[in-house]
Amino acid sequence: MTEVTFPALSKDSPTAEGVVSTWFVSDGEAVQVDQLLAEVQVDKVAAEVPAPRAGVVHLLVGEEATVTQGTPIARID
Amino acid sequence: MTITESPVVPAPRGSHRLTTSKAMVEAIELEMERDPSVIYLGEDVGPYGGIFSSTTGLQEKFGAERVIDTPISETAFIGLAIGAAVEGMRPIAELMFADFMGVCLDQIYNHMAKIHFESGGNVKVPMVLTTAVGGGYSDAAQHSQCLWGTLAHLPGMKVVAPSNPNDAKGLMISAIRDDNPVVYMFHKGVMGLPWMAKNARATDDVPDGDYTVPIGKANVVRQGHDVSIVTVSLSVHHALDAADALAGQGIEAEVLDLRSLVPLDRESILESVAKTGRLVVVDEDYLSFGMSGEVAATITDVDPGMLRAPVARVANPDTPVPYAHGLEYVVLPRQDRIEAAVHRVVKA
Amino acid sequence: MTTTAHDTPRVIAELDSATRLGLYRTMVLARTFEEAILREYHADKGPGFDIGKGLVPGEMHLSSGQEPVAAGVCANLTTDDAVTATHRPHHFAIAHGIDIDKMAAEIFGRETGLGRGRGGHMHLFDPVTHFSCSGIIAEGYPPALGQAYAFRAKGTDRIAVAVTGEGAANQGAFHESLNLAALWKLPVVFVVEDNDWGISVPRSASTAVASNAARGAAYDMPAERVEDNDVEAVYAAAGRAVARARAGDGPTLLEVHTLRLLGHFEGDAQGYRPELAEVPGRDPIPEYEKRLRDVGLLDDAAVAQTKKDAHERVEAAITFAKESPVPDPTHATSYVFA
Repeated sequence: MTEVTFPALSKDSPTAEGVVSTWFVSDGEAVQVDQLLAEVQVDKVAAEVPAPRAGVVHLLVGEEATVTQGTPIARID
Repeated sequence: MTITESPVVPAPRGSHRLTTSKAMVEAIELEMERDPSVIYLGEDVGPYGGIFSSTTGLQEKFGAERVIDTPISETAFIGLAIGAAVEGMRPIAELMFADFMGVCLDQIYNHMAKIHFESGGNVKVPMVLTTAVGGGYSDAAQHSQCLWGTLAHLPGMKVVAPSNPNDAKGLMISAIRDDNPVVYMFHKGVMGLPWMAKNARATDDVPDGDYTVPIGKANVVRQGHDVSIVTVSLSVHHALDAADALAGQGIEAEVLDLRSLVPLDRESILESVAKTGRLVVVDEDYLSFGMSGEVAATITDVDPGMLRAPVARVANPDTPVPYAHGLEYVVLPRQDRIEAAVHRVVKA
Repeated sequence: MTTTAHDTPRVIAELDSATRLGLYRTMVLARTFEEAILREYHADKGPGFDIGKGLVPGEMHLSSGQEPVAAGVCANLTTDDAVTATHRPHHFAIAHGIDIDKMAAEIFGRETGLGRGRGGHMHLFDPVTHFSCSGIIAEGYPPALGQAYAFRAKGTDRIAVAVTGEGAANQGAFHESLNLAALWKLPVVFVVEDNDWGISVPRSASTAVASNAARGAAYDMPAERVEDNDVEAVYAAAGRAVARARAGDGPTLLEVHTLRLLGHFEGDAQGYRPELAEVPGRDPIPEYEKRLRDVGLLDDAAVAQTKKDAHERVEAAITFAKESPVPDPTHATSYVFA
């Protein structure tokens, strides 16, 4: 099981909050390594989150919900 | 629920979820891989990836010779694209905001759009002019316009405006392959950008690989028999949201996504209104002398008897887009105004 | 700060203490305003960044770092002179003497704003000080020509100052304006704020000449380039240009190498800007403060007082804005025609 965490986009503030703006995969979907999982936004920085490995992805947060950097947003089994 | 017409594909294929902006970029990427004469030029399209993410990652992949940052010189670089197209390349030039067309309109409507005609068909201009349109995020009078009515009014250029990722990708591929100048107008509100409020339909499953969506063909995105809502771009989403609400009130609305303004799919408009007898046109461009009047005339030119009620036009008034949020949201043709218009035509 | 018409010195004075302190105070006021807008703008856009959200929605282009240009130029003007500015207008508006309350209210989209909330931060119009700005690159130049033309037609020695960025110097309207102003010897001062970046594109990638001052020669127009974001050098150069215009000797092109401390707009992560880490160290206001301290014109008490005055003035404007009514939605289509 691999956790996918919300990336640390704000260097000034490690506990900054952001959102998962868009999920590109569904809960329970089989994903490949490097497949685009999500686009996230903290303050003025947006970033893509690729899958760290292949497997079945489970989504832990919803779109537009507030998430603190470093929080797990998905896991891949 | 969105019902999209199946794109023209030769064999079964996989799909993946994309936002509209990523679908647009994927289309450009596929064509740039396939055809070395395709280049993309505009302001901040290089490392920045386009102000509205129209070229994200493309310069990294294809280099600065093919994805080119230009000076703030629209007349010069759009004119340059025209000349390159005349000599056989397939350039894509980006006008950052459609609102900026004033500084370069001569190149667009007197050159890009007229060379083929003036040459008796001997010279082609196979280029794409991409441009961001639309409001709803407080960018005020000079940065919130749609202006497809203005461009569609001027002969010689095709005009398309996708509302969703599927059409964004297929129409871009069609536009690049078209031997005519195609103006590709992407509404900032449909791009699925992480820094702007977005509709759920800004992200969708998109077929892998290349496929085309025909230019000049509208799409029935929701079937219904009580009223035809004919619209384009972001307003398609507001119309679908309105249709969902109206269904709960026993009114089944048909929503026709025009997808192209030039050529205008008049057949599909006539077919829908022949069925429903009631027409609501939603247009985020200015009310008068534009798209909404053209859609209404499509019916009255052929058979006004088809209509069981006057046409309702839900458009931006003939007013510059105001800055203050409360004022802007009065002038935009959003869900509440669409619902009210449907009620008016259904009761008439 | 731009003086009112009746006490304008017509002769450009040497850089005396009053002028120098005035330049410093203007820059501090402009910066304090931008910092307040920055705070208000970001206060309610989160948790991610929704550009359309909050009390100050939409695009925001802040002028922090470019204060020396506005302060140095406008100290040579009166409120009878016209200034046309860009999408990054606040420092020029403040330096030229606009009503800060009404500007803040306009930025907050309120009925008490300069444009009754219709225009927003890129479209500020103040007939009292003949100040205007526009969001279309270089398109502020041609109307400035017209204001200059009218001032001369009325037999006055009032002038127009037209401001753009360095990116605008590659736009058609820039060149047409320079040629026409030179040809008709219009009383205009063309100011180019070269902050190195046209959004994400550096000058080296957009402009065929190293300095836009070189372009003056193409129109037989005197031109100067001021380096180092130096407010006193700007003041002196602008003084020469203003004097030339008032004397009926025609336009001048004045380029100032300045500094964009922040992004092009708020929300710009500036990933394209390699020198980002050293930018704060080039802030012109602490630099000028140090210069004035070194000659005994400023000390801790004076600096603190200047900042306090600026803070109070700006916060009063923000409060005025926030307490002002939003425009009546039933009047959304008003003011299209007179």
